[in-house]
Amino acid sequence: MIQCRRVTAWLVLTTAVLLSACSRPELHHAQLFSMGTLVDISLWDASPEQVENAERIIQQQLQGTHNNWHAWRPGPLTETNQQLRTGEWSICPPVVLPLISQAKQLYRRSNGLFNPAIGQLVSLWGFHSDTLPQGPPPEPTAIANLITQKPGMDAIAINGQRIRSTNPTVQLDFGAFAKGYAIDQIIEKLVDTGINNAIINAGGDLRAIGRHGNRPWRIGIRNPRQAGVLAGIELTEDESVFTSGDYERSYEYDGKRYHHIIDPRTGYPTQGVRSVTVIHHNATEADAAATALFVAGPRNWYQAALQLNIKYAMLVDDKGVIHMNPAMANRVQFETTESPEVILSKKL
Amino acid sequence: MNTLTTTTEDHRIALLAALAITIHIAESALPSPLPGIKPGLANIVTIATLCLYGLRTAAWVLMLRVLAGSLLLGTFLSPTFALSFTGAVASLLILSVARLIPGKSFGPVGYSLLAAMAHMAGQFTAAYWLFIPHPALLHLFPILMTAAVLFGLVSGIIVAAMLKRIQ
Amino acid sequence: MKSNLVTRADWLIIIASIALLPWLYSTVWSNDPGDGDEVHIVVGGKELPAISLQQNQILTIQGNIGPSTIQIADGRVRFISSPYQGQQCVHSGWHRHNGEFTACLPNRIAMLVTGRTTRFDTFNY
Repeated sequence: MIQCRRVTAWLVLTTAVLLSACSRPELHHAQLFSMGTLVDISLWDASPEQVENAERIIQQQLQGTHNNWHAWRPGPLTETNQQLRTGEWSICPPVVLPLISQAKQLYRRSNGLFNPAIGQLVSLWGFHSDTLPQGPPPEPTAIANLITQKPGMDAIAINGQRIRSTNPTVQLDFGAFAKGYAIDQIIEKLVDTGINNAIINAGGDLRAIGRHGNRPWRIGIRNPRQAGVLAGIELTEDESVFTSGDYERSYEYDGKRYHHIIDPRTGYPTQGVRSVTVIHHNATEADAAATALFVAGPRNWYQAALQLNIKYAMLVDDKGVIHMNPAMANRVQFETTESPEVILSKKL
Repeated sequence: MNTLTTTTEDHRIALLAALAITIHIAESALPSPLPGIKPGLANIVTIATLCLYGLRTAAWVLMLRVLAGSLLLGTFLSPTFALSFTGAVASLLILSVARLIPGKSFGPVGYSLLAAMAHMAGQFTAAYWLFIPHPALLHLFPILMTAAVLFGLVSGIIVAAMLKRIQ
Repeated sequence: MKSNLVTRADWLIIIASIALLPWLYSTVWSNDPGDGDEVHIVVGGKELPAISLQQNQILTIQGNIGPSTIQIADGRVRFISSPYQGQQCVHSGWHRHNGEFTACLPNRIAMLVTGRTTRFDTFNY
């Protein structure tokens, strides 16, 4: 019996020797379904504890995003919106304040193209719901009414912990901007735990740090009109890739398609663009930029990118023509069978 | 002038090593998906030596085979040699560990299997870390280990049959 | 010496090693290989940019000892020549499936065929 036990011990040892032959940096890939978003995590060469830690951090952060910054479920953001409606000075929930101040900056830098103060418009179009609206689109007079009041981030004043709005139509809806902010926080915390090679992809918007072993991370940008990949991009060091697309949340009514990216100047879903993809180091800014460039459209995206200090941008217009800057063109590899028509801008 | 004195054990080692080298060279002509990775039929000599004369003699035979074999094949200090060498060291390690068990716990088949698997795992690790640190190399690992188990079993059975004849 | 040359411990090792194999295959080869789309060539420890298997061409790559020639044609890839004697990688022939791997070890050149699914780490949309 004793001999048998010893033999078993040696067996374990043998297996350990064999397994050590396979120990190598490896990819840990996991998908979490958290708070209505599919989160795709890739970690290269992370220890089991780091992986466990990472998953916990991601869960916590996304839970926080959902609870704190939800545009219509009761929570700190809906509380803030109630305060803003009164026009009085009041203490802003501390989890909301940093988003407001960053959004104000980006609002200014994008000349109001990125405008998370149009929550009322988004709600009017029916997008403040977990299920997609069925239509019909809102009455033109209702839209015109809101637009003439010009809700904008500049109406919000910040004084220490206190905020107030001078415009009662200002209602915050951060949308993907909050997701970008959460991704930035997740990456910051992951780096603190010693993770240097990772991709955090929350519902299609992602930030990547480090590399996949001895090659860069490879990202496939989905085609806005058909299944499959439009182009591939390699990411090095620390970069975020954000895409705003008209296909993300939309509905059809009476043969017309209405999507969730509302032009704050007209009050209607932005026309003429299928998608905008931006590469930028910071995920929060990448989201704001993708939205702003989308609203700016095929003619003015370049100016918006300049103002937001974006170095890589690609816009697919409603004819499928691709507009991008030369540096972006150097990085994207088209995956479509026929190479698409490309219009290059000046350098960014 | 001193003459080099040799013992019976030296002669035995020389003879067995020569035998192992012959098998090793014959084997090098066989095709392999990864150059340098071989079934290891020369293992037969190592295991038989281990069973008959103990670990020390077996270690001599094994290391001599790797060194002299590589000199004869002209692969000394080449990648192939590094692989052989790592494999030999790995199998020696596992054999010495297996020998530590008191009593007659393992017979030739057990030793041979352990040695063959350690040899392959060692070679593979060396190939991965020294030459091509690419995860794709891992796709070959199960195939190579299957070969190791197969050849380890075959060599072990051959040794067992040999020992039975000698008795 | 005992006439029973296969001991109980031997049997344990035999069973364990045979049981290990299916486990190895299932962990290492978990995904079903389909047709590959591109080839990744690794020289030393460095990986070159992936090359589509649809672009028919002949490449010459400088390895550790000398040049190796690689041919890509009709969705397949192979080594045509290698600067060392054995030329095992040349004899291994064409490779077209996702996950297929071949190496010219002395010259430190390896190539891996991958398919669309393994091509990207993640997707942006």
